[in-house]
Amino acid sequence: MADLALPDMSPWAGLWRRGRFGHALGEPGLDIAESERGSMALMSARRGRTPDLARAAQDLGLTLPGPRAWTQDRGFVVLSTAPDQWLVRGPGSFSELAAGLEPLAPFAAVIDQSHARAVLTLSGPRLRDALAKGFEIDLHPRTFRPGDVAVTVVAGVSAILWQIDERPTFEVAVPRSMAGSFWHWLSESAAEYGYRVSTHDA
Amino acid sequence: MRIPCPFCGERGNAEFSYLGDAAPVRPDPKAGMAAFYDYVYTRDNPPGMIREWWQHVGGCRAWLVVERNVTTHEIAKATAASALAQGTREMAR
Amino acid sequence: MSDAIGHAGPVGSGSGAEAPERAARVTPNSPVAGAARVQPFRMIAGGQIERRPLSFGFDGKQYQGFAGDTLASALLANGVRLVGRSFKYHRPRGILSAGPEEPNALVELRDGARREPNTRATVAELYDGLVARSQNRWPSLRFDLMAVNSLAAPILGAGFYYKTFMWPAAFWEKVYEPMIRRAAGLGRAAGAPDPDLYEKATAFCDVLVVGGGPAGLAAALAAGRSGARVILATEDFVLGGRLVSEQREIGGQSGPAFAASVEAELASLPEVRILRRAGVFGVYDGGTYAALERVNDHVALPPPHEPRQRLWRIVAKRCVLAAGAIERPVVFADNDRPGVMLAGAVRTYLNRFAVRPGSRAVLFGNNDDALRTARDLQDSGVTVAAVVDPRPDALSSLDMLSRETGTRLVEGVVERALGSRAVQGAEIRDARGEAITVPCDLIAVSGGWQPTVHLTSHLGGRPEWASALASFVPGTLPPGMAVVGAARGDFALASCLADGIRAGSDAAAAAGFHPRSVTIPSADAESTAVTPLWRVKAAKGKAFVDFQNDVSASDVEIAHREGFVAVEHLKRYTTLGMATDQGKTANVNGLALMAELTGRSVPATGTTRFRPPFTPVAFAAFAGPHRGKNYRPTRLTAAHGWAVEHNAVFMEAGLWLRAQYFPHTGDKGWRDACDREVLAVRERVGLCDVSTLGKIEVVGTDAGTFLDRLYTNTMSSLPVGRVRYGIMLREDGFVMDDGTAARLEPQRYLVTTTTANAVAVMSHMEFAAQVLWPDLDVALASVTDQWAQFAVAGPRSRDVLAAVLRSDADLANEGFPFMGAMATALRDGTPARLFRISFSGELAYEIAVAANYGDGLARTLMAAGAAHGIMPYGLEALNVLRIEKGHAATGELNGQTTAGDLGLGRMVSTKKDFVGAAMTQRPALVDPDRWALVGFRPVNPQDPIGAGAHLLRPGAENKSRNDEGHVTSTCFSPTLGSTIALGLLRRGPQRLGERVRAYDPVRGRDTLVEVCAPVFVDPEGVRLRG
Repeated sequence: MADLALPDMSPWAGLWRRGRFGHALGEPGLDIAESERGSMALMSARRGRTPDLARAAQDLGLTLPGPRAWTQDRGFVVLSTAPDQWLVRGPGSFSELAAGLEPLAPFAAVIDQSHARAVLTLSGPRLRDALAKGFEIDLHPRTFRPGDVAVTVVAGVSAILWQIDERPTFEVAVPRSMAGSFWHWLSESAAEYGYRVSTHDA
Repeated sequence: MRIPCPFCGERGNAEFSYLGDAAPVRPDPKAGMAAFYDYVYTRDNPPGMIREWWQHVGGCRAWLVVERNVTTHEIAKATAASALAQGTREMAR
Repeated sequence: MSDAIGHAGPVGSGSGAEAPERAARVTPNSPVAGAARVQPFRMIAGGQIERRPLSFGFDGKQYQGFAGDTLASALLANGVRLVGRSFKYHRPRGILSAGPEEPNALVELRDGARREPNTRATVAELYDGLVARSQNRWPSLRFDLMAVNSLAAPILGAGFYYKTFMWPAAFWEKVYEPMIRRAAGLGRAAGAPDPDLYEKATAFCDVLVVGGGPAGLAAALAAGRSGARVILATEDFVLGGRLVSEQREIGGQSGPAFAASVEAELASLPEVRILRRAGVFGVYDGGTYAALERVNDHVALPPPHEPRQRLWRIVAKRCVLAAGAIERPVVFADNDRPGVMLAGAVRTYLNRFAVRPGSRAVLFGNNDDALRTARDLQDSGVTVAAVVDPRPDALSSLDMLSRETGTRLVEGVVERALGSRAVQGAEIRDARGEAITVPCDLIAVSGGWQPTVHLTSHLGGRPEWASALASFVPGTLPPGMAVVGAARGDFALASCLADGIRAGSDAAAAAGFHPRSVTIPSADAESTAVTPLWRVKAAKGKAFVDFQNDVSASDVEIAHREGFVAVEHLKRYTTLGMATDQGKTANVNGLALMAELTGRSVPATGTTRFRPPFTPVAFAAFAGPHRGKNYRPTRLTAAHGWAVEHNAVFMEAGLWLRAQYFPHTGDKGWRDACDREVLAVRERVGLCDVSTLGKIEVVGTDAGTFLDRLYTNTMSSLPVGRVRYGIMLREDGFVMDDGTAARLEPQRYLVTTTTANAVAVMSHMEFAAQVLWPDLDVALASVTDQWAQFAVAGPRSRDVLAAVLRSDADLANEGFPFMGAMATALRDGTPARLFRISFSGELAYEIAVAANYGDGLARTLMAAGAAHGIMPYGLEALNVLRIEKGHAATGELNGQTTAGDLGLGRMVSTKKDFVGAAMTQRPALVDPDRWALVGFRPVNPQDPIGAGAHLLRPGAENKSRNDEGHVTSTCFSPTLGSTIALGLLRRGPQRLGERVRAYDPVRGRDTLVEVCAPVFVDPEGVRLRG
């Protein structure tokens, strides 16, 4: 066992191939790629310490977003997911992320979720039409904009959805164990418009 | 039905799970069997507007007190349990 | 720029369809054009159709229609008027209507797996290659042997089923029901899985407009111009509603041209969405509406990747209901003969489809609207033989027509339709009582219009009777809904338009927009006067009220005679208003007849309320993509692929798929695999994926206190690096779940739950944290998906782990004893959590790594264990192992057991408060006579015992009063070479050694068993501490 080296296997492994699928004509309606895996932590303010946490985060250069919003500072993406609770994403390993958040420890509980969720980046002209086939929330540009987050359910799968830009580009995180079911729903919903998978074969 | 989650915004009721009447309050541990019996089993089931426990399991997972007219299904308000607890604390001060 | 509707559109000013060019005086067999011979009843010009030929088949015969036809209009164009047989009497039936209310013209559309029964020909859009069959006839539509039911009509009346087939009850299932089903029925389901895609989608808008007629178009335009997000949903495939069916003029434009210009402007507004072929069929709480979009029902096959149908959930701030109205027939003798058609439908076929529904018509109505039919027929080359109206002096407006064409104007009624498979004439009785027989092949009938109030009553609103209109109008409306036009009884075109504009503007304003003023266009004048006429009595012939259910006027009389006068009784006794059309053309007439019989008014007799769906919706649409294995999501563990490669047979455990066993070539059954896996664990080492167990991290200064209040035992005293078994109760004192709590850090615990209860336990803990004890500092997160976890169990497990863990990991008993927990790492540095816990009773560990490494870890453990004879094991083996050790699982944690029942009474603290603490002291829960957990071994070791078997004393009668408990879990133990079982037995622990019977009437067994302690293997627990 001297040469032991466990592979870091994508939650999407075996589900897709790179390429163009579904409706074959014209520009694809959706572009789909696996997001940078990085690390993720659920950060909950200790009881009654939310203001202290916000101040400490400010000192770190992080803005804790209010309800239904996300921010990006110093390489961290901070998504508001529940009252006094945020999902923090970092580019490196969880230990690096935890070390970065160490100054917040007196005011927050931090729980590793790096492998708990599978994350995709979605964009394209028909993205909203495809998402409407499962998401039961209003994603119209008047009501959902870049910087917004929704924690919701899609086709029976709990999901965190956040908007990146107005192309539109969204990212979506689903429980790792349900990546297959989510992919089945997404690929079937996107097929009508044609979709392109730009990540290498999962 | 659509429930206005104070954190997530208005969502369809499929995202929520229902527990029941929010009126009973867990008695003091020393209150005795009768008080716990009432807490566990006794419900008034009145018509009209009542306060109910719902959890936003498909969203922020907050436990909510939803004021709902059980006759018309009109939903007047939803408040997070944590906000109610905070209010209670502030009133106690 | 004008802001009048119909003129301001950037695209369509004045464009759109031309006014139909009339093809008057062309008789059906005229050799004018080739097309006329192919479609003998099609006019050579006019209509809102494209003259692009489409071929279709009906009952095996090929026909031609045009693009823009419905199946009904195409059949009529070909002179096909007999299209089905009725439900009960198998009477020949034709086409009554031109819309969704059709009760008669139901067909089987398409064939094979796509066969769709009970499709209304009046809304089925024609496509090239369409295949339809008439239903409910045998062997053919023209010669239907089941029509003998018609001869038996006197005994098939209302209440027939109830009376005739009352006795003997056993005959129902085997004799009567199959017989009735064969004789009376609707179409046949496909009987094969539907090969097409169905979708669900959600849309949000400020204003939902239901209906694409004049009022709906006006409302959508007024709302749309304000910038509001508008959805205009119409069941039809063209916009316009009655505008495309009538010869009307609006602001100088024809009806179709006006509709086209409004449509063009709506299409140009970016926030307006037009959903065609999308009927709104249900209203739900909170401004939620359901619509069925028939995306690809109008083509032979849906294009690749496209759904056939899409079920929309529409969430709207405001709704404008412009659903129009449904014309009522008049109840007269033999009014169901093919060729009796609603007057409005006659105009639709003439004006919209350029089809003559007949050659020689009698028009019979009680309202001014119906009279316009005479002129439209005349213009289309159909001879109007007579116009019959019971209202004195009502026909003076037709004097000119009469003079020009010789049309007979009769103040009177049509008493009876003549003919059988087609109308051959009308028996008329005039006001003086004279009988007149007029030969004809079409009777256009109108009893007035009933507003389509269905959607207004889906939330319980009760429609109100408007006697001036002789119809029901909307009563209390669903919140946020306004009703406009004919749907509220406003039948005049000009007021439909004005109403629509006002309601559209109001709805947009209520949704927070500033509507712009919109000029109301003028419309030609009209009269909509009506005088009620429900029924014409005649000496003979059946007068139908409900065509689809074959409910006649005499059935209503029987119901009245037998006391079923309440509207709900009338419905259930006669079946009036049931089946796929839900009485759209029948309900009001039935009610009015009952009112006449009881001498009460219609509103005093009753009101019909409606439930969704407005029109039939296929189950496939409700299921959407969630069918078969996609019925609900499936959860897979990180090492699922590894288990697949080891040939695992999977079973569902909640949403999870778990390996049940791992068969080998040559196995005779699952037991071979299970026994092999059990013995591998007992003798060597086994590997089991336990990632599905619920894992919750509990973090905070009060984490220990919090867990003390959830578990019956104390967790705050647990040292870091140790694990403790715990049970949670419900507040009523019964066991909810069991699991372990590991203290990873002073303020961080990891608790596990059973796979089955993981979701419920998480909610329970959140309730405790947020509601019961909000002052405790504790954060919770499910980490079930974060960690892939494996049980490595068996005497060689330590050797296997030593090979994969980094060299400084101390696995020796002293450093890492039973119930230890540590954070460590694999040899490659991958962080891991190691727990020395055992479900099998052997020396065992559970090792967890972050999920992406789970698949690799499984393979690594298998490789490291090869030298030790490692074997993967599944749920079956896991179950045997835990029964051998007497560990409680689903069968024992059944929601009715206390900790004491399970032999865990010593784990229930009496020194602290926890959920269930108080109620656990209830007398019944501490009764020494309670059923409690024990083990059982059959006297003959090979005898099987069934889970669920009742426990009885030997010699006791097999009565429930003698029941002393039941078997909860059972298996064959390869370790002991015997069947073993766990069960709950009255005072069980005090009866060890006693013999009782496991009585299992379901499986036909009665097994003598000996009561024993519930731990069968290594009761001293030597192995797990080894």
